[in-house]
Amino acid sequence: MNEILAWLGRPEHSKPLALVLFFVIFVGILVYVFTGKSRARRLESYKYIPFADDEQDEKETDNDR
Amino acid sequence: MKFSHESIEINAGLLIVLTLVAISIGGLVEIVPLFYIPGTVEKVDGVRSYTPLEQAGRDIYTREGCYLCHSQMIRPFRDEKLRFGHYSLAAESQYDHPFQWGSKRTGPDLARVGGKYSNAWHVQHLKAPRSVVPESIMPNYPWLLENSLNYSDIADRMRALKKVGVPYSETAEEYQANVKKFGQELADRFNINLADESLLAQAESGNFDGDRSRLTEMDALIAYLQVLGTMVDFSQYDEGYFAEFR
Amino acid sequence: MAHASRIAAEQYNYDIVKKFAIMALVWGVFGMSVGTWIASELAFPILNFDIPQITFGRFRPVHTTSVIFGFGGNALFATSYYVVQRTCQARLYGDLLPKFTFWGWQLALLIGVVGYMNGITQAREYAEFEWPVDLLIAVVWVAYAFIFVQTLRRRSQPHIYVANWFYMAFILATALLHIFNNLAVPVNLFSMKSYSLFSGVQDAMTQWWYGHNAVGFFLTAAFLGMMYYFVPKQAGRPIYSYRLSIVHFWALSFMYMWVGAHHLHWTALPDWTSSLAATFSIMLLMPSWGGMINGIMTLSGAWDKLRSDPIMLFLIASLSFYGMSTFEGPLMSLKSVNALSHYTDWTVGHVHSGALGWVAMVSFGSLYHMIPRLYDTRLWSQRLVYVHFWLATIGIVLYITSMWVSGIGQGLMLRAFDDFGNLAYTFIETVTFMHWPLAARALGGVFFVSGILVMVFNIAMTIRTAHQEQAAIDAKIAAKLARANA
Repeated sequence: MNEILAWLGRPEHSKPLALVLFFVIFVGILVYVFTGKSRARRLESYKYIPFADDEQDEKETDNDR
Repeated sequence: MKFSHESIEINAGLLIVLTLVAISIGGLVEIVPLFYIPGTVEKVDGVRSYTPLEQAGRDIYTREGCYLCHSQMIRPFRDEKLRFGHYSLAAESQYDHPFQWGSKRTGPDLARVGGKYSNAWHVQHLKAPRSVVPESIMPNYPWLLENSLNYSDIADRMRALKKVGVPYSETAEEYQANVKKFGQELADRFNINLADESLLAQAESGNFDGDRSRLTEMDALIAYLQVLGTMVDFSQYDEGYFAEFR
Repeated sequence: MAHASRIAAEQYNYDIVKKFAIMALVWGVFGMSVGTWIASELAFPILNFDIPQITFGRFRPVHTTSVIFGFGGNALFATSYYVVQRTCQARLYGDLLPKFTFWGWQLALLIGVVGYMNGITQAREYAEFEWPVDLLIAVVWVAYAFIFVQTLRRRSQPHIYVANWFYMAFILATALLHIFNNLAVPVNLFSMKSYSLFSGVQDAMTQWWYGHNAVGFFLTAAFLGMMYYFVPKQAGRPIYSYRLSIVHFWALSFMYMWVGAHHLHWTALPDWTSSLAATFSIMLLMPSWGGMINGIMTLSGAWDKLRSDPIMLFLIASLSFYGMSTFEGPLMSLKSVNALSHYTDWTVGHVHSGALGWVAMVSFGSLYHMIPRLYDTRLWSQRLVYVHFWLATIGIVLYITSMWVSGIGQGLMLRAFDDFGNLAYTFIETVTFMHWPLAARALGGVFFVSGILVMVFNIAMTIRTAHQEQAAIDAKIAAKLARANA
């Protein structure tokens, strides 16, 4: 365990490792977000949340346009 | 529970934890090593803490917000060297709580203003900047000459600074350590038990505001300005030495 | 209409939102006026009047604190309390606790601002509050976080809308930054004076980690939360891409915290730190522009709204300024550019293209949208919104261009050499050169302040009308009841 920590503690090891780690997480998020049809549909459906309370104030929104 | 991004979206607690992780990494990586990497603060002789009078002056410097128009950080460029002097070292602000590097030069850099002008020039310039530099846009600070210096809590201030790491002494051992490090004369100045006497003695001998009859805020501020950037003797080091630390 | 609004008024806590919204305008007028004043002091130093309390050095923190934490902070409290209720369709948690956050926040601002004028300051930019105020802010902030999370837990559907993610990140990051940057030892329990725990290079790094993320989270992430709700609502159409907003969120949260050290290029901070910061600053362009595109493209297919709706004009202009300043920022974080721009007015201009162009404009747009809804009425005058928009835009353009002239001009003059290798200009010659740009900048400020004054008048008339309408309705109901009883 100590050897592993010592190995990680050296900047020439930890730097590329961190780079790879963060990059993989980033790509992971991209892949998750932009793949899969049903997931896309589900995620995009959330953009209507701000309009979910529209019946209540339909009139309010109408009269200032 | 199967982990997926969906569980983040619907779980406020998880969202909080992961956001905290995401926002903590940058600061950890950039700040923590500065306390541990050797050479972050250069090894250099001469840098010392401020005497009680200089510290009182520094407190006026921060009170008036001087840092908003004057930097104390000379960068390693040819024009700055010609204009202000040798570039600033991290070591030179190691006792600065808080640092006063500044972010804007509406007026010139002050990192090495010490010794550049006479006390009398500073008094006149602080009182009425345009009387010595007609184009100056600095405010007048006439009250520095009118206000008596309030040093009633100077020992408390030094004690607080000692808590954050400034080498002022309270015990005999700490005093001896300071004698060894800074010499007898300065060690006396850094002695919290003699704070008042030391402050008055320096004001008396320095006569910063040109009027020995009273101790003003001007005395303290000029004492501080006159020590800025004068602690390190750069003739002792060759140019390559500091480059090793950059 | 009255029926619908009654339901909304019972369902949501609008009272607290109104309070914060009005105080945002009050602090906005005050802070921007002080800003114009200190800008004028730089052009005409006689305006310092030898009064200690209003000299530039003491008045400048009054300006920054009033606009960032007074105007910006109150606008964020108001909109976050509004958005979290509307997107969760749940009433705000608690009753006394939100009131406590309101009074606590105003008190902290007031003590802070009066303190600066009397020389009580930590001398850390944008963190000038002394330790007792810092403690008060910390308590208010914990209450704020608690209210926000408890309200989220009352939401009616499983998904948390992305605007709330941004508000959440802002609350968390601000807590983190506030605590670590304000670690200090007081002189004694009854003294308003303290000394920072760190010194020199470590202190500088901590301060600019704080300083830039006050921009990144207080002035950006939180206002993006505002954007993700109010742009779609005002446009009447959903955000362009919800999936992009998720990527936007994680990339922005992660990257912002790395970039603070670009304020310390070429200083005694080790090179590795500032290089890392510069790298992240450039990468940050991607999420910043991702967010901007997401906001602007919401209008895709409905661009005509820009012609007919002045509130939309505010919101879209704010996103354009956001795009501009998040392009300029990475440029200025390059070490070679920074060598010229740092310490000059270019930095000041850059901050204000973000602060006036992005933060203030998006807040104006959101408040114009929100306040009539809070009072269940319509805006008193659409035309005055146009007047405000153009006053603000002229002000910003004057401000930014004059700061480019003064900053880049000074930077070039300072590094100029004559044929013999001597400095071509003394420092004071650059000060003389900057006189007219500084005067033009102050004029820009006058325009901007006039704009917000027009807004205050418009909002005051809107609220007055709302009260009159309400009184008329109440009278009608009372008359009906009286007739029924007779």
